[in-house]
Amino acid sequence: MNIYVCVKHVPDSAATITVEGDNAINEKITWLMNPYDEHALTEAARIKAAGKAVEIVAVCLGKPAAENTLRSAMAMGADRSILIETDQYHDSIITARALAAAIRKDGTPWIIFTGKESIDSEGMQTQFRLAQHLGLPVATNVIKINADSGGVTVECEREAGTIDVYRMAAPCVVGAGKGLNNPNYPTFPDIVRSRKKPVKRIDLAEQAIDRPAAGMQIRELVPAVEQRTPKALAGSAADIAAQIVDILKNEAKVI
Amino acid sequence: MTKKYDAIIIGAGVIGAPIAYELSKMGYKTMSVDKLPDAGEGSTAGSCAIVRAHYSTEDGVAFAYEGFKYWLDWENYLDHVKDEKGLAKFMNTGSLLIKSQGHKWQNVKKHYDAVGVQYKELTNEEILEMIPVLDLHEFWPVKRPEDPAFWEDPTKMLEGGLFCPEGGYVNDPALSAHNIMRAAEAKGATFMFNAEVVNIRAAEGKVQGITLADGTEIDAPVVVNCAGPHSFKVNQMAPGVWEGCNIKTKALRHEVMYCPAPEDYDYLNKGYHQSDGDIGCYVRPEVGNMYLIGSEDPECDPQEWVDPDEFYAGKGGHGRDNQLSEEQWKAQCYRLGRRVPTLQVPNQPKGVVDLYDCSDDWIPVYDKSDLGGFYMAVGTSGNQYKNAPVVGRMMAELIDACEKGLDHDKEPFQYKMKYTGRTLDVGFFSRKREINYNSSFSVNG
Amino acid sequence: MQPIGLLIEFKGGQIKPANFGMATAARAENRQLVALVVDTPANDAKAALEAYGVTRVVNIRTDSNGWNPAVHAAAVVAAMQENGITTLIGLTSPTGRELLPRVAARLDAPLVMDCIDIDLDAHRVKTSQYSGKTIATISMTGSHFIYGMRANVVAPEEAPAAAEVIDFPFAADQGSGFEVIETRTDGSGSQHLAESDIIISGGRGLKNAENFKLLFDCARHLNAAVGASRVAVDNGWVPYAMQVGQTGVKVNPKVYMAVGISGSIQHFAGMKTAKTVIAINTDAKAAIMANCDYFVVGDLFDILPALEKALASVKR
Repeated sequence: MNIYVCVKHVPDSAATITVEGDNAINEKITWLMNPYDEHALTEAARIKAAGKAVEIVAVCLGKPAAENTLRSAMAMGADRSILIETDQYHDSIITARALAAAIRKDGTPWIIFTGKESIDSEGMQTQFRLAQHLGLPVATNVIKINADSGGVTVECEREAGTIDVYRMAAPCVVGAGKGLNNPNYPTFPDIVRSRKKPVKRIDLAEQAIDRPAAGMQIRELVPAVEQRTPKALAGSAADIAAQIVDILKNEAKVI
Repeated sequence: MTKKYDAIIIGAGVIGAPIAYELSKMGYKTMSVDKLPDAGEGSTAGSCAIVRAHYSTEDGVAFAYEGFKYWLDWENYLDHVKDEKGLAKFMNTGSLLIKSQGHKWQNVKKHYDAVGVQYKELTNEEILEMIPVLDLHEFWPVKRPEDPAFWEDPTKMLEGGLFCPEGGYVNDPALSAHNIMRAAEAKGATFMFNAEVVNIRAAEGKVQGITLADGTEIDAPVVVNCAGPHSFKVNQMAPGVWEGCNIKTKALRHEVMYCPAPEDYDYLNKGYHQSDGDIGCYVRPEVGNMYLIGSEDPECDPQEWVDPDEFYAGKGGHGRDNQLSEEQWKAQCYRLGRRVPTLQVPNQPKGVVDLYDCSDDWIPVYDKSDLGGFYMAVGTSGNQYKNAPVVGRMMAELIDACEKGLDHDKEPFQYKMKYTGRTLDVGFFSRKREINYNSSFSVNG
Repeated sequence: MQPIGLLIEFKGGQIKPANFGMATAARAENRQLVALVVDTPANDAKAALEAYGVTRVVNIRTDSNGWNPAVHAAAVVAAMQENGITTLIGLTSPTGRELLPRVAARLDAPLVMDCIDIDLDAHRVKTSQYSGKTIATISMTGSHFIYGMRANVVAPEEAPAAAEVIDFPFAADQGSGFEVIETRTDGSGSQHLAESDIIISGGRGLKNAENFKLLFDCARHLNAAVGASRVAVDNGWVPYAMQVGQTGVKVNPKVYMAVGISGSIQHFAGMKTAKTVIAINTDAKAAIMANCDYFVVGDLFDILPALEKALASVKR
């Protein structure tokens, strides 16, 4: 009855991203845990605190520096962690295989958490591929979860105002959404405790994963440039309103 | 077309604005120029705006205490001017100085007594009654989380602190500069924004005026450098000025963190400003029930001297640009986390990175220069915000005296403080001084 | 003729207009557009799809009795195989986010969501990464290719054709371990942020939850969606689902009105691809004012009521 939490080491959303070469970024920026994964960990810790899980294991595919994110995960409640080391960028097809292989080898999952997406590559698919490889049910953008030994009942926010309630048999894969909880960040004593928790390193190259025929390669990365020349609208409130209506009608053609 | 004024003030931050205000009150026709779009938008906006009295010298304490009186009487100081943005507020939280090896608090206490600063000595128990979330173990010396010793368990306790009921912070430092600008304008001052100075013109040992990036020339017999982190660049534009300074200034990168206070502690409404040399941090409340965590620049922390233009353009690179770094986020938050064990530290850094205009001995330079008519209020080193209104008055009087013939280098101007009644030897702030080894060589001044 | 699958979505019994842009993007001489319609009476949609060049409509009927992403995805995969479809295009919509990754996972096929540019021959797309700070060109390899298009990136162009409708009944495997209990709607999101042509968002300047009514009043006349900045969500004025930005929804409307929003980097990450940005703010120096198409320095509490009045009279 382990809970696995798959985490990703991503650039801080506030970081300045500069492109290097054709398809890479300058990595000398602040990296941290993907924000959705924080919700996943917080929920995992809550479920464990209710006495329903044996261990929380954080799993990450990444470069050696991703250990920082695993340290954060352990400070937020993971008991131990697995770093599948690689020095390259990998698409979600490989990532899901690597995560599935590591989890399968490590133990018996009950719930596998991921974030609903990562804020760097924004692929929105690893959780589904992971579930497929393990033959498990999966739900995304989960905002509420009730877990019992047989499985979980989840509420998923499909869109504003539409909530789907699903029942998934355990084991299953849960993609955590922002509405799931407020992240429970670590205190200094939590951080001290986490320093003694183990990180198991395994080399991606030594993982027994099949080489997929399919793939996604980033060919080119360019900065998104935004060029707008702001024009002022002035006058009385009624004048301004009339000008906005005119823009909607004649320029944007949405009326 | 060349415009003529009695005095040009370069910089409309919290130092430049009050100088314009005071000179205008004396009848000078002033022109303030700033490269940014509004008053206080530069490093003033990034200031923690702490108002506290503890400085390493008696004059420093007196100067700060004089400043309190201005903040406490803000509307009067502004001569009841209306500012469409509203008025900045002085949040009088009270100020706790932890007795630690990180501060020469014995000296501070002596200076408090000499100046007449109100304070109370507190035991650890009394501190805990006021601030129950604290762990008052001694963690000295200040270390970084990368150092294994950082994680060692403490064995000794602290020895209490000094609490000043007067002290706190100003809620919106940029707005305070804006308020002073409006007050100055009411006395006839002019402010010009988006105006970058590219040249200081001089002839026959006298300053003539400035040239802006767009070619505009403005003339005045008096030019005052209040350019904050850009001060050394402005000094270098004026013939002989930079060379004539024994004490130089440069721009130091500085990170301030916002970390949420523990949920059950109403820090915003019930908390205090706290200077804690034992962990190398100072804190004050920030909206959203956050701790604003500043660093007292402990020796173990790297000092990043940067080019201010590259920094503000975000071009300096990791640790040299205007983005928070994860290492420093952890250093400052974990240090406070030792003192406040229930503090929860988010993974994502949140805060402000800005620049100190730092002098060689962390004491400002308020002085004339080797170029006639050229003055400077520079090297404020992250610790002069609270003094800004006093600096405005003092600089204006210094400028007026020098323009009327005083040789300030030979016979230093004596400034009589309005509220404390003490006289300050402005020569203390001379550009020609030797490095003052009584200084804390930190933001503590 | 290479068959291209189009995953069609409905709203209120009508095909979502963004599907027609999708059909327009996919159209080419050597391709056949095959519309995949799941658990919706396809005959009603036939005429509309024909107008945009669809020549085959696959009427997928599952036994799932309503929304079930696991069953629907399995049915789409089966229908693709039945019709020889190796390329599937859908919208990066709430439905697309559920179905497309499930389809891709089942087929072990490459998938790029939120494409702003698609080259079906080269299997090459453009999408934003790093919260909109970069545009990535991604090439896909494999036997199947799944694309999630960002809504509204291609304007629909009609190209009338005649379509056949083929029924495709699908029975789901039992014991998948995935069961739909219920779907609840609370009525808060009448317009889908991500697909709306017009979005009116409010931020700190709105001051409280009640004032969002001013935005909804204007939105009603425009059939616009109402969004919010993170500040408004953090303050509990509106639900998280309305948050536009880095950690919220990313939108691509024709018109984005930012009302009382300063325009942080994180907010821009969610709306920077909007065609026309109109900002209303009392602070002339707010970041959004320097990065928009039109700005109004003024009080939203004066301007919004005036705008509502003007919109009401236009409608009449």
